[in-house]
Amino acid sequence: MKTYGSEPGAPTPDPIQVGISEFYITAEDVTLKSYGLGSCLAVALYDADSGVAGLAHVMLPDGDSNEDSDGNPGKFADTAIRAMLRQMVEAGATYTSVEAKIAGGSDMFEFESFGEAVGKRNVDAAREELDKLGVPIVAEEVGGQRGRTVEFDASNGTLSINSSEDESGVTEL
Amino acid sequence: MKLDVNALGTFYRMAREGAGLAAGRLTSMTGVQTRVGVTKLNFMRGSEIRAEIDDGSEKVGVRVELSAGLEGHSIIIFDRDAALQVVQTLVKEAASEEFDEMDQSAVTEVGQIMTNGFIDGWADVLGTVIDVSTPDFIEGETAEPFFGDLETAPSDEDLALLFRSQIEAVGREIGYKHYLLPEHDSMSEILERQRVDGSDGIEYDKLVGFDKLAQQGATEVASAVTTLTGIETVVEIRRLNFVSLETIPEEIANEKKVGVAFSFDGTPSGYLLFLFDEASAREIVEATVPSPPDNEFGEMGTSAIKELGNIMASGFLDGWANVLDTTIDHSPPEFIHDMGAAVIDPVVIDLGENQEYAFVFDTQIQAADRAFDCDIYAIPNEDDLERALNDLDVDRVEDAKTTAEFPVDEVESDT
Repeated sequence: MKTYGSEPGAPTPDPIQVGISEFYITAEDVTLKSYGLGSCLAVALYDADSGVAGLAHVMLPDGDSNEDSDGNPGKFADTAIRAMLRQMVEAGATYTSVEAKIAGGSDMFEFESFGEAVGKRNVDAAREELDKLGVPIVAEEVGGQRGRTVEFDASNGTLSINSSEDESGVTEL
Repeated sequence: MKLDVNALGTFYRMAREGAGLAAGRLTSMTGVQTRVGVTKLNFMRGSEIRAEIDDGSEKVGVRVELSAGLEGHSIIIFDRDAALQVVQTLVKEAASEEFDEMDQSAVTEVGQIMTNGFIDGWADVLGTVIDVSTPDFIEGETAEPFFGDLETAPSDEDLALLFRSQIEAVGREIGYKHYLLPEHDSMSEILERQRVDGSDGIEYDKLVGFDKLAQQGATEVASAVTTLTGIETVVEIRRLNFVSLETIPEEIANEKKVGVAFSFDGTPSGYLLFLFDEASAREIVEATVPSPPDNEFGEMGTSAIKELGNIMASGFLDGWANVLDTTIDHSPPEFIHDMGAAVIDPVVIDLGENQEYAFVFDTQIQAADRAFDCDIYAIPNEDDLERALNDLDVDRVEDAKTTAEFPVDEVESDT
């Protein structure tokens, strides 16, 4: 996990980079950014009323069946979504007004050893967990065979996606 | 001395915690925002460490002796210019061009703060107390003044375990190298204590032997590239790293890469990726396709790059298989042209189902006369690697044939 030397008074970096298996919650007007998602999935949660936002960069679908998930909830779709939601509520968000946007979950390779597509499994796991928690997915840009870099504007909940195949520009969700 | 993944994981956490505390201390001393970048454990030969330091530039460093819970030496080395920058960025508005006494004491202070951060982090992870001597300020251009007088310094053929981490201040990397040279006994004791009961672990000597061969395999790959493309290439960097899986994509530059990926199967199984920057991939197409197409990454170019990848993969894996006296099969090549991190994250995800850390055989091939860079990542499945290495007969290392056969005809007929 990244460590920011967060001493009082020190400036917050902008954009804040959210690496693999990390998530970040904020009520400030900053940008959260995850680079080069392939089969990994970005889950962006936003509560427009309180302005509390969170971005997770998850790597694997299922934390509940993995004993490591306690120490590293951000690694798995299910545990990351729950941890983010809890922390967002603690930061002032209203559970019922949180909305989700997801991006990533490509399947770049067709190796036999991969078995079921790894990207799709991340997308399915996130959908299932969000559905279980009653958080609506209001927009998504998932699947395919391309990498994506995402920027989540925590001031208004816009998720901008830069895809390697779409050189013309940025998709905004 | 046996390496067990759990014990290495402990060392990895030490490296990360240490870097985190070091960064935090720098922030609280200076009020400047700092951030820890990629952290890894790096196995490096004494000769490679010396070569890394002997690059002809002036260096300054801070060295301390460790005792109690961990015995050995910890040395932080800055390039002289980088040290001046550190002083400038962190300590005062404008440092003078000269390295005066005040700068020296500022660097010693920064070095000491970082060292104390690292060591407190290690002690936390190990749950022990580590005593630290007063710091020595050292200047020099070679490795000699920094650790020539130390018994813990690795001999040329020894693999030392190094902690590598990056700390950035205000978006700019603070350039430093950090070497932990533990006493052999103290290190084996810690490794032994952290080992999981029932785990076999990997004999250190076997890892050293295998790494030597991996080096020859890399040389073979470079010469295969030269044979097929006419581009004179050499192995520029070659390292064996132990990292958390998440670190692997983070380390790859975010620009678009052209790559060829393979899965391989046998003992060990795993993934092998060759990543070229776009300019280098264009060079390959121009060198191998008789009348280069307008779109280098169209069907013809893609197939040329895949074929070269295929031959490089055979060279690399045949070398391993010969030494391990086994068969390693690889999949057909998968071509990718995408953002660096996105190219490798599917592999990391697949391995991540069963392991948290990975040994990464990291090689960089470069050309002398033009821009040609190829990064090779071989990431074996950890259990398989452990099994393969434990079966390795170290005596075979000296006489094993590592030269692979390259079916050159096949390539020409395909392009």
